Amino acid sequence: MSGNRVYRRGLRFLRARGRVVARLAAWSVLESGQTFLTGFALARAVDAGFLAGRAAVGLGWLGAAAVAVVAGAYGTGRVYLAVAALVEPLRDRLVRDVVDRGVRDADRGALSRLTQQVEIARDTFAGIVMVSRSFVFTAVGALVGLFSLAPLLLLVVVPPLAASLVLFALTLRPLTRRQEAFLVADEELATQLGAVCPGLRDITAAGAEEQVTADALERIGAEQRTARSLARWGVLRVVSLTIGGQLPIVLLLATAPWLLAHGVTAGALVGALSYVGQSLLPALQNLIHGLGTSGSRLAVVLRRLSPGDPTAPTVPTVRDTADDVREPSAARAPAPASAARPSPPAAAAVPLSHVTLSHVTFAYGPASEPVIEDLDLSIPHGTHLAVVGPSGIGKSTLAALMAGLLRPTGGSVDVHVDVHQVPGARPTERHHVLIPQEAYVYTGTLAENLGHLRAGAVPEAELLAAAADVGLTALLDRLGGPTAEIAPGTLSAGERQLIALTRAHLAYAPLVLLDEATCHLDPAAEARAEHAFARRGGTLVVVAHRVSSALRADRVLVMDGPRTAYGDHAELLERSPLYRDLVGAWSGPSQPALSLRDPDGVDAVAGAGLARDGRHVVPHGPVGQMETAGDLRDGGTVGGE
Amino acid sequence: MTVSPGPAASSHRVQPFRSDHPPASTGDALLRAATRHSGVRCVALGLLALAATTANLLLPAALGQALDALLTDPSGATRRVLSCTALILVLSVLDAFETVLGATTNARATAWLRERLTRHVLDAGPRAGRRFGPGELVARLVGSAGQAGAAPAALAGVLAALATPLGAIVALWLIDYRPALVFLCGAPVIAVLLKRFTRDSSQCVARYQDAQGRIAGSLTEAIDGARTVAAAGTADKEVARILRPLPELSREGHRMWRVQGRAAAQAVAVAPLLQIAVLATAGLLLTREALSVGELLAASRYAVLASGVGVLVGRLGGLIEARASAHRLGELLDVPATAHGTRHLPRGRGNLELRGVTVHRGGRTVLDGVDLVVPGGTTLAVVGRSGTGKSLLAALAGRLADPDGGDVLLDGVPLRALDRRELRREIGYAFERPALLGDSVEATIGFGHPTPPAHRIRAAARTARADDFVRRLPHGYATPCAGAPLSGGEVQRLGLARAFARGGRLLILDDALSSLDTVTEHHVSEALFGNMPGRSRLIVAHRASTAARADTVAWLDEGRVRAVGRHDELWTSSAEYRRVFGSGAEAAEGPAGGADDGSDPSGRERTGDSR
Repeated sequence: MSGNRVYRRGLRFLRARGRVVARLAAWSVLESGQTFLTGFALARAVDAGFLAGRAAVGLGWLGAAAVAVVAGAYGTGRVYLAVAALVEPLRDRLVRDVVDRGVRDADRGALSRLTQQVEIARDTFAGIVMVSRSFVFTAVGALVGLFSLAPLLLLVVVPPLAASLVLFALTLRPLTRRQEAFLVADEELATQLGAVCPGLRDITAAGAEEQVTADALERIGAEQRTARSLARWGVLRVVSLTIGGQLPIVLLLATAPWLLAHGVTAGALVGALSYVGQSLLPALQNLIHGLGTSGSRLAVVLRRLSPGDPTAPTVPTVRDTADDVREPSAARAPAPASAARPSPPAAAAVPLSHVTLSHVTFAYGPASEPVIEDLDLSIPHGTHLAVVGPSGIGKSTLAALMAGLLRPTGGSVDVHVDVHQVPGARPTERHHVLIPQEAYVYTGTLAENLGHLRAGAVPEAELLAAAADVGLTALLDRLGGPTAEIAPGTLSAGERQLIALTRAHLAYAPLVLLDEATCHLDPAAEARAEHAFARRGGTLVVVAHRVSSALRADRVLVMDGPRTAYGDHAELLERSPLYRDLVGAWSGPSQPALSLRDPDGVDAVAGAGLARDGRHVVPHGPVGQMETAGDLRDGGTVGGE
Repeated sequence: MTVSPGPAASSHRVQPFRSDHPPASTGDALLRAATRHSGVRCVALGLLALAATTANLLLPAALGQALDALLTDPSGATRRVLSCTALILVLSVLDAFETVLGATTNARATAWLRERLTRHVLDAGPRAGRRFGPGELVARLVGSAGQAGAAPAALAGVLAALATPLGAIVALWLIDYRPALVFLCGAPVIAVLLKRFTRDSSQCVARYQDAQGRIAGSLTEAIDGARTVAAAGTADKEVARILRPLPELSREGHRMWRVQGRAAAQAVAVAPLLQIAVLATAGLLLTREALSVGELLAASRYAVLASGVGVLVGRLGGLIEARASAHRLGELLDVPATAHGTRHLPRGRGNLELRGVTVHRGGRTVLDGVDLVVPGGTTLAVVGRSGTGKSLLAALAGRLADPDGGDVLLDGVPLRALDRRELRREIGYAFERPALLGDSVEATIGFGHPTPPAHRIRAAARTARADDFVRRLPHGYATPCAGAPLSGGEVQRLGLARAFARGGRLLILDDALSSLDTVTEHHVSEALFGNMPGRSRLIVAHRASTAARADTVAWLDEGRVRAVGRHDELWTSSAEYRRVFGSGAEAAEGPAGGADDGSDPSGRERTGDSR
C-alpha cells in the first residue's frame, strides 16, 4: 500500500538525519526534566515543606520546579530549531521534486502543490514531530516521576494509559481513512467549482444552471457526508482520552486508601494527580488530536506529492529520438531547391543533418483515428520546408514527432546528425530546436534568455549579430541591451516570439522546427526572421501560419489526410486542390467559394500582402491550449485567499 | 504566453465593492441565517458546552474534597470519590457529544452556505464572474464557506469558553482570595507575551512568501513554455534556474522557526510559572493551616483552568476570522441574481431589436444609445475596432448582461420579461474562447438544457468541422475535454458545435471564428450564412470576409453605431471602415507586436460579459 511507502520513506528520511533527531531528543530531555520536577517537587514541597510546617523547604522545592520550567522553556525554544532542521530539508526536497516534475510534465497542478500542498506537508510534519516528541518526553518525565514518588503509582496509572494508546492505534487507520475521504471530497468539490466558475458565461448561455447546480450540490452533499462520518469517529478520540487521561484520576482516588496504607504519602498523591491531570492528559490530548488529523493530512499530501502518484497525470516521457552521432551522411544528395541557394555564411556553425520519416503513423489513443498515417518524408540537410494545412490536421503533431516530443505509434523518425564537422559544436547539445507558437521567455536577463540553448555564455558580438539578423535589435535597444532584466508579462506576444527566434538562431542545432513560431509577428517581421534562418544554414521546418511562409520555402508539405502532398510551390499548385485553396489561386469555376473572401481587395496571388486578413493558414488561438494537454485540471487557484 | 497569476495573486482581481449599504451587513445577515438554519443544534451545543464547563469547574473542588476526605476521614471518602467519578464520566460523555455535534454542525453550516452561494453565483451568472475572477469565486465558495461554516458552532461555544477562565478565577477566589490575587497580577504578563508572539512572526513570513512567490513565478513561466523546454532538453537547466531562490526560502524558513521557538519558549514558561506562584501561595497558607491539602490541589487545578485564556483568545480569533469569511461570502450575495420574467415568445422568426441601449462600466459609457434591428432570418455582422463594445453588445443581445438603459427585444418581447428556459432555448451562443463544460466531448457539445439527442450532436460537430479531429482524439467522442490535446481552433469548433446543436431563433457568435483556419472558416461560414429560415444570426467579426457574407453590417465605433449597411457599400465609401479590418494596424502596434487579425492579444477586447 502506498501509505506504507510514504511511511517507509519517512523513516528513511529520519534515519538519514540521525544527528538532528539526536539533537531534538537531547533538548526534549529538558522538557522531561520539567515534567518530572513539577510533580516531584510539588510532592516534596507538600510532604517535607508545607505539611511539615517548613515553609522555606516547600518554597525551595517549588523554586526548583520554577527553574525546571525555565530550563524546559529554553529547551522548547531549542526544540523548534531542531524541528526546523528536520522540516526545512523536507520542504526543500519537496519543492525540488515539485518543480522538477512541474517542468518535465508541464503540469499546472505543480503550482498548487508548490504553494499549498508543500506548505501543508511542512506544517503537518512539524506538528506531528512536535506532538509525538512532546508526548514521549512528557510521558517519560511523568512516569519516572511517579516511580520516584512511589513505584506503586505506576501500577495505577500505566495500564489505562497503555490501553488508551492501544485503542488509539487501533482506531488510527479507520480514522485516517475517513479523514482522507473527507480531504478527497473537499478537493473534488474544489475541482468541480474550479471548472464551473470560469464557465459561468457559458453555463448561463446554455441555460444549464439547474444541471450544473445539481452537480455541484451533489459534490457539496458528498463532502458533507464524509465530514459527518469523520465527525462520528471523533467519539473514539474522546474515549481514548477518557481512558488514558481521566480514568487514572478516578483510579488514583479509588485506590487511595490502599496506596496510603502502603506508604504513599499525601504529597505523593497530590504529585501523582498533578502528573496525570496537568502533564499526561494535555500531552495525550495533543497526540490524539495532532496525529488523528495532521497524520492523515500529511499522508494524503505526501502521497500526492510523491512521484509514483497514480492520480497524477501521466504524460509521455519526452526523449530525444535523434540518434547519437552517426557517420556522415554525405552520400545523400541535397535537395535540388537548396542547391540553388547561395551558401549561407553561418552554415559552418551547424552540423549536417538528415531527417527521415518512414511509414510514420501517430494516433492519440488506441481507439482513435490516426492523426498521421503512413507518412514518408526525407528532408535532406539544408532544406527549407514549409508545412501547411487546416488546423487540427496534425501539423503540430508532426513537428512534435520530428522533435522527439511524441513517439510514433508506427514507423520511425530518424534525425541523423554529424557533429564532427563543426568546430565548437558539442555532441551533447541538441540536434534540433523547436519553437512553438507560445514563445518561452522567462524572467531574467535578455542575454540569459537568448543564450538559453547554448552550454556556455554567448559572446556579445555573436549575440548582437544574431539579433540584427532576426530583427530583434530594436527591441534589444529599447530594453537596454543584453544585460537588461526582462519581465515576460510586459512584452507583447510578438516580442516574445522574436526573443525565442533569436535564441533558436543562436543554437547549434542543425534542425530548426518553427511551429507557428512567427504567428504574432507582422508579415514583414516574419519574412525577415525566416530569411535569417535560411541564411543560418541547417534544416528549417516551418509549420506555416501564413501561406507566405510556403512561398519562401524550397519544399512544401500540404497535410490533408490521405491527400497529403509534398513538392515545391509550382508542383503543388498543380497537384493539390487544398494548396490551391490555401494560396487562393483557384483554377476555374469549380471552387468559387474562396473568391468570396476577397472583398477587401487583397491581391489574391502570391505577394507580401498575402498575409493580411483572411490569409492565415492558422491564426493563433488561445495560447497554451496544447501545452496543458497533460493536466488541464488546474487546482492552482483554489483556496488562494 | 500569458503569465497567469499565482493563487496568492488572485485576490487582487477583486474589484472594490460599491453598494448603498455597507457590505458587512450582508455577511452578518448570512451568518445569522446560517446559525438559524442550525438553530436547534447550536442551542444544544451551547447547553452541552455550558454543562461541560460547569462540570469542569466543579471537578477540582470535588477532587480536593475527595483527597481531603481520603486523608482525614476515609469512611466518608467513598461518596466523594464516587461524585468525582460521576463528574469525570459526565464530562467525558458531554465531551463526546460536543465533539460530534460540533463537527457535524460545522459540516452542516458549511454545506448550507456553499449550497446557497453556489445557487446564487449560478443565478448571477457572468455578472459574478465579472466582479470576482473565477479563482476568487472558487476560493470563496470552498475556503471562505468552510471558515464561515465554523461560525455557528463557535458562537454556541463562546459563552462556555469565556466562562471557564472566569469561573476558575472565581473558584480560586472562593478557596482563598490570596492565590487568586497572585494569579490576577501575573495574568497580564501572559497577554503581553501572547501578543508579542503574533507580532514577531509576520515579517519573516512575508519574506518567506516572497521567495516562494518567485519560485512559483518562474515555474509558471516554465510550465507555459514546457513544449520549448521539452524539445530543447533543457529541463535540468530550467529546474536549477527556478530553484535559485530555494536557499533563501530555506533561510527564511529557519528564521521563522527560530522566531516561533523564541516566542513559544516565553509562552510555555508563563503559565506554569503562574501556576507555581499560585501553588507557593497555597503552600504558605497550608503551612498556616489556612488551607487543606485538597484545597491546594484544587487551587493548582483552578490556576491551570484560569490560564487557559489562550483557548478563549483562539476561539475569539476563529470567530473573527469566520465573520471576515462571511463578509467575503456576503459580497458574493450582493451581486444581484438575474431576474427573469414569465412571458413567452409569440410565433416569430427571431427578430432582434435593440432600442437605445446604453451601458456604463466603471464610470465609462461603453455603449451609448445603440439602436439596431436584426430582421428575422437574417444575419447581422457587428464590426469595429477593439474595445468598442462589440462583445458587450453580443452579451446584451442574448441577455448575458443587462443594459443600464434601453431595451432588447426578441420578436417583440423584452428579454427581461422572457421566461428563462424559453430565453435560453431560443438563443444560442458561441464564443471566442468557450469554456468546455461536460465530462466528455459529446457532453460538451450537448451541454445545456434541454440536452440535444446524440444524432444532433454528431450533426452539429460535422457542421462545425469538429467531427474529424474529435474522432482522432484518444477516445473519440468519449474523450474528456480536460485531458484532450485541443488547439485554440479546435476548442472554438467545439464551442460552435455546441451552439449548432441547440436550435432556437437567434444565434450569437462572439468572435467565434477567429481561431479557425481559412479553409475551416470557409466551410463553417457556408453553413452559418446559408439560408436558415426562422433563425437570425448576430456575428461579431474581425475579418472582412465574414462581414462580407452578412446581410447587414453594423459598424460600431466608440460605443455608438457609426453606420449600418452592406459590407461592400461601406468598404467602398469609407477608408476608415477599411481600417477597421487591420489595414495599417501594424503601424500602430509597435515594432513587432502586430496583432495580425485585429484581436487584442491581451484580451482587452472582451470588455463584455465574456469572462
